[in-house]
Amino acid sequence: MKQRITFIQRVDAGFDPQQAVLTASSLSVRGLDAAREDRITVGLDELPEEFRAVLEQSHELHLRWASERSFDAVAPFSSRVSPGLHVHYTPLESDSSSEALCTLLRKVVAPNKDAQYKDCSKQEVFYDHSFPFEGTTWLCSACVRSDPETAVQNSFITPPLRSTQFASSASLQYYTYLPSIQSLVRYIQTTVWDHSRADGPECHTRADALLSADSVDIDYDSISHALTVSGLWTSPPTGGWTDQFQKPESAADQIEFGLLGADAGLEPEEIKMGGLLAVVGHDKKLKPTMFSFPSRHQPLTEPSTYTVSFAPPTGLHPTMSISMPRSSLRRPPAPSDATCALHTYLTLPSTIFGDQYQLATTDTLFLESNNLVALRALAGEMDLEAPDWVVQRWGSNWLLELATPRETEDATTTPDPSNWTATIPLHLRYLPPSETGHRTAHIPWPVVFWACTAEDDTKMGVNPFDRTNLGWDSLFGPRTLFYQLQPAGDRLVEEVDVPVLRLEGGDGYFRGKYIEFGTCIVISLGFLWVLWRLACVAWSSGVGNKRTKGVHDKKE
Amino acid sequence: MTLFDSPARVFLAAAALRLVLLVYGGWQDAHSAVKYTDIDYMVFTDAARYVAKGESPYARDTYRYTPLLAWMLVPTAWEGAAPWSTLSFAFGKVLFALSDVLAGWLVVQLLVRCYRFPVERALRYVAAVWLWNPMVANISTRGSSEGLLGVLVAALLWATLTKKPILAGLILGLAVHFKIYPFIYGVSILWWWDAERDGSAMVGSGLLSKALGFVTPSRVKFTVAALASFVALNLVMYLQYGQPFLHHTFFHHLTRIDHRHNFSPYSTLLYLSAAGGAETRFEALAFLPQLILVVVALPLVLAKKSLATAMLAQTFTFVTFNKVCTSQYFLWYLILLPFYLPSSSLIRKPALGISAAILWIAGQALWLHQGYNLEFLGLSSFVPGLFLAGLFFFAVNVWILGIVVRDGGDGGEITVAEK
Repeated sequence: MKQRITFIQRVDAGFDPQQAVLTASSLSVRGLDAAREDRITVGLDELPEEFRAVLEQSHELHLRWASERSFDAVAPFSSRVSPGLHVHYTPLESDSSSEALCTLLRKVVAPNKDAQYKDCSKQEVFYDHSFPFEGTTWLCSACVRSDPETAVQNSFITPPLRSTQFASSASLQYYTYLPSIQSLVRYIQTTVWDHSRADGPECHTRADALLSADSVDIDYDSISHALTVSGLWTSPPTGGWTDQFQKPESAADQIEFGLLGADAGLEPEEIKMGGLLAVVGHDKKLKPTMFSFPSRHQPLTEPSTYTVSFAPPTGLHPTMSISMPRSSLRRPPAPSDATCALHTYLTLPSTIFGDQYQLATTDTLFLESNNLVALRALAGEMDLEAPDWVVQRWGSNWLLELATPRETEDATTTPDPSNWTATIPLHLRYLPPSETGHRTAHIPWPVVFWACTAEDDTKMGVNPFDRTNLGWDSLFGPRTLFYQLQPAGDRLVEEVDVPVLRLEGGDGYFRGKYIEFGTCIVISLGFLWVLWRLACVAWSSGVGNKRTKGVHDKKE
Repeated sequence: MTLFDSPARVFLAAAALRLVLLVYGGWQDAHSAVKYTDIDYMVFTDAARYVAKGESPYARDTYRYTPLLAWMLVPTAWEGAAPWSTLSFAFGKVLFALSDVLAGWLVVQLLVRCYRFPVERALRYVAAVWLWNPMVANISTRGSSEGLLGVLVAALLWATLTKKPILAGLILGLAVHFKIYPFIYGVSILWWWDAERDGSAMVGSGLLSKALGFVTPSRVKFTVAALASFVALNLVMYLQYGQPFLHHTFFHHLTRIDHRHNFSPYSTLLYLSAAGGAETRFEALAFLPQLILVVVALPLVLAKKSLATAMLAQTFTFVTFNKVCTSQYFLWYLILLPFYLPSSSLIRKPALGISAAILWIAGQALWLHQGYNLEFLGLSSFVPGLFLAGLFFFAVNVWILGIVVRDGGDGGEITVAEK
């Protein structure tokens, strides 16, 4: 097991050498004002059987979880995903079942009662008999198969994205709304590192700490045969970080420590870092260091924010608005030969969807009125008619290029104080009945970023803080630089009220029975009324030809 | 009024109305993000583009029609410079609008030749109900294919009343291939075309001779022609496009769960049961009242008395008792209204006619108000709002249907066989 603890201090943060003390057997930090990333790498053979079985069936498994609390990303950890749990999975054999992973996910997610959770499984659609009332679990099935070929074919992109760009993306993708990773932490504590191990208690504390993390990544691939768990805290707890790291008991284990600051590199695609490094129990003192590396994820030099909202009333066709101050929309400091475009990547749960034909339009009037440039890629559930309970996949992903204000507007002497707003028309699926007549759809804020693509097609060099498999990164060329805008809001999940059929249990006024019998009685009465009228006609004049009028069959 | 003296003027005005709407539609599409063109037309033209490239029209999601439609619209896929592309895009709309006018012309012909209407009177009714009806012109110029159904039904009635059994059969086969529901007319026409109308010899009164007498040459020709054209069209389409053709053109309509709110009285029940909340399965029997009336009772009692009124009553019943109903379905019976209205008690007794119109509109308004609350304001108006509005609208329709049935029994049709 290897641990890497990285503290990133802002340029203006104070540091006193007494705050980080290295001894022969431990390292302690005190009141450190910094962002922190903990990365733990575990070999496959160190894992419990149940978990190992899942990984052994995987070619690649990447979990990305982000908190719905707003946080300031810090270089080099400036990449973002929408709040919730994202799973990118490639099974070892393309036709092998993902059932083992799904069982695991069910434990990790532990869906609440009534949560709009699409179970990741191959089960048939199943309904609890107590259906529209409380205690319902939504057991549907299957992860999104975002087949690169289909994704390209369905996206109506001109020019089409090159399929080689998808080489690094996983074949199966899954997302679920997950405000807290409590059950993941519990799973790690009870199954992965139980108390019987020597380092059990310490791992418990480490796992508990994940509860306050802003984002958590779990990675596995069959080449390294190692599992990596990373937690990121972008701001310190009150009073700063105070912690102690003991030299590991086993010689095979290792703790690396870094206290670093990040700055812009010499080249626009580089990040320069400097500070102190040490391997606990191995190094005698903290070693000063300075290094720089190319990074696909770059910080924006000027603060750039966006907010997401749905203008009320949302009805059944809510429109997502992404608003940015115009000052947020200056071209990022990318190399001058790179082409930069503003993008948004939507992660829509199955309760809400876009109409691919509406959004893939080339009609400039529609695009301009919404401040969109084009739909660049889409994957997942595209059905325009199905109710949510029929939909088996978790939802869909949309990559849209957003328009930016024209340069001329920037040149005006007085800056325009109004926001620049892009709008995306969406639609709600029918949801099952509820007692109140309403249900809530949880829609994570999309990520908004600049993608600056250089002509050069060489691979981005690896760096110790690189982050891939975010869903949207694989839709761009390997040398693309990403500059994230900062979501500005208390909660990065929108709740949209969905009107549904109101049904009450017990002796309530709104009962399914009334609808059933009401419809049946009214239809039957209507049917009998028409039959009665027909009987009257048949009684008085039979079913044959009318012979009352003499003109019949007379010829002119 | 001199306007109605001249068929040319009436038809020119109808064509002018459509031309104005076409030009206006083109202008709105080019200048507004809110399009005049119907979303369905985009589906048709996308499908036509696939067909033009030699691919299946079913490559377009939600294309649920015969490939014939996509074939007919292939010119819309022709690319060209600016004015030409606009014109070629409008090809389908022009086709639908021309079908409208042609349908109106056929109805006028029938009213004059078979119903002995003075030309002016025929023009007056057809103009009011169909040719000058802004709703009809709007639907076809927005690019909805319902206008094609209008011309097929009008042609079917024309071929039947002018005693052309083979032609009538071929048209029926085509119409059913296009949109399943016209099969209901087959029953009425078969029952109507008895020995007396056929002009063949009357037979004796024995059971066997009666049974044999039912088999008139016209009935045989009509049935064989209808089956032949229906089977041939489906065979060609199946060979060309395989299973997706059968699935999207036919099976989809039989297996869909119409859980979304619509005018049908079943709509709330279908939502409830699709979501698994219903204890009984009444909706599984919904086809019974609908088909008993449409396929058995209405043709049997009314077809021989007044074929057009029987067909109107069938369509009206089919739409009223259907599990799904949207406003385009109302167009299905509009084309048959000019045959029924002139002699109906709705016209003879203005109070009755006005009450029927007011109640029908009130039913629509109530439903649309609830629908607006749900769709745009997000209010949970499924119960009681939409549920009761749907049932009220159903009740109004059934009441009007009762009037149509009574009129069909005693008012009516005076047809003159063509020599």
